[in-house]
Amino acid sequence: MKCERMNWDLLVRAVDKELSSSEAEWVPAHIAACPECRRECEAIENVSLRIEAAVNRSAVLENSADREFLVAHVTQQHRVKPIRHAPEKVMRRFGWGMAIAATLALGIIVAPRQKPPRTDGAPTEQAMGTVSNAIEVDGETFVALPYSNPDLPASAPRIVQMQVPLSSLADIGIALEPVANEVLNQDRTVLADVLLGADGQPLGVHVVSWE
Amino acid sequence: MEQGRVLIFPAVPWKIESVENGSNDSRLLLDLYDREQTPLKRYLAMLGVDPETARDIVQESFLKLHEHLLGGGDQGNLRAWLYRVVHNSARNKQMSFGARNTGRIDDLTPAASPVAKDQSAEERLLEQEREQRVRAAMQKLSEAQRACLVLRTQGMKYREIAESLDLSVSTVGENVQRGLERLRELL
Repeated sequence: MKCERMNWDLLVRAVDKELSSSEAEWVPAHIAACPECRRECEAIENVSLRIEAAVNRSAVLENSADREFLVAHVTQQHRVKPIRHAPEKVMRRFGWGMAIAATLALGIIVAPRQKPPRTDGAPTEQAMGTVSNAIEVDGETFVALPYSNPDLPASAPRIVQMQVPLSSLADIGIALEPVANEVLNQDRTVLADVLLGADGQPLGVHVVSWE
Repeated sequence: MEQGRVLIFPAVPWKIESVENGSNDSRLLLDLYDREQTPLKRYLAMLGVDPETARDIVQESFLKLHEHLLGGGDQGNLRAWLYRVVHNSARNKQMSFGARNTGRIDDLTPAASPVAKDQSAEERLLEQEREQRVRAAMQKLSEAQRACLVLRTQGMKYREIAESLDLSVSTVGENVQRGLERLRELL
């Protein structure tokens, strides 16, 4: 470098637009006015272009099967992704709406057998009326949620497997365990497949495991 | 009884964010794949990884990214995340990124690329030779210098390069400057 006011570091960062705000106040103006610095910048840009050309013509293997594999993997993972690895994170992502939907269905299935009626038992009977409807998808039977219409075909349904905490049942007034065990079992969950319609609305639930 | 306890829940369809996010994750993943898989392979190629291994590493990295997204991982800078994973995966396969590699950069056949219509066969040959010289010269740089210069050609700012390589921004700047200086001497 012949120019005494400039150094290579500043010139490279000027070319890369990585100058600090104080440097940006004088370096570009100096380069514009200094023929030597302009030549240096051109040399930097020239080397950079040569590197770019060499990088962009590096040999790479392209195969459309790779993308197809990734798409298949993503689809498969969405269907059977074992949320059991990190139930807390999944619950955050899925939101309480999903948890309540799954819990509701569980309540429909289990509550009539395990929970003694607290009032007149009529809600359970109503729920049982809904349970009698079922949705069949890919050989799997789902208990229809109260507002879903099992007579309508589920368009582009998806199945999401998730852990549903028993504690959420307490929030909606349905106990799956004897009252004395509720506190102890607040952290327990059950694994369920939740059938989702094209709009993301839960249509039905299939309890996978109940331990 | 008119209303059972279970029917107190909203009859209005719920917005199930999880599924929508899942779809978004998939779209994000595939968009990133379409945009970045070739640059990632080029990056590995410039670090001396043979094309077949580079293909495997990139594919594995996108599967890891899918896990990352499904697990609710940070979506802040997924491009830098990918380069970091690819870089570390290559390292884990005990590649030295240097002349000891089986896939030496100067052994690689340049990829077929669009050629200017008015470019003669002789000009194309000369261009390929020039590119080969650059690749050979880059092998004489340190791994960090090479990595920084390659990521710089992908349009990354120093901050993003730093994030990709787990370096400080100032170290990235030094690597870029020294790498360019050395290349200028060699070419």
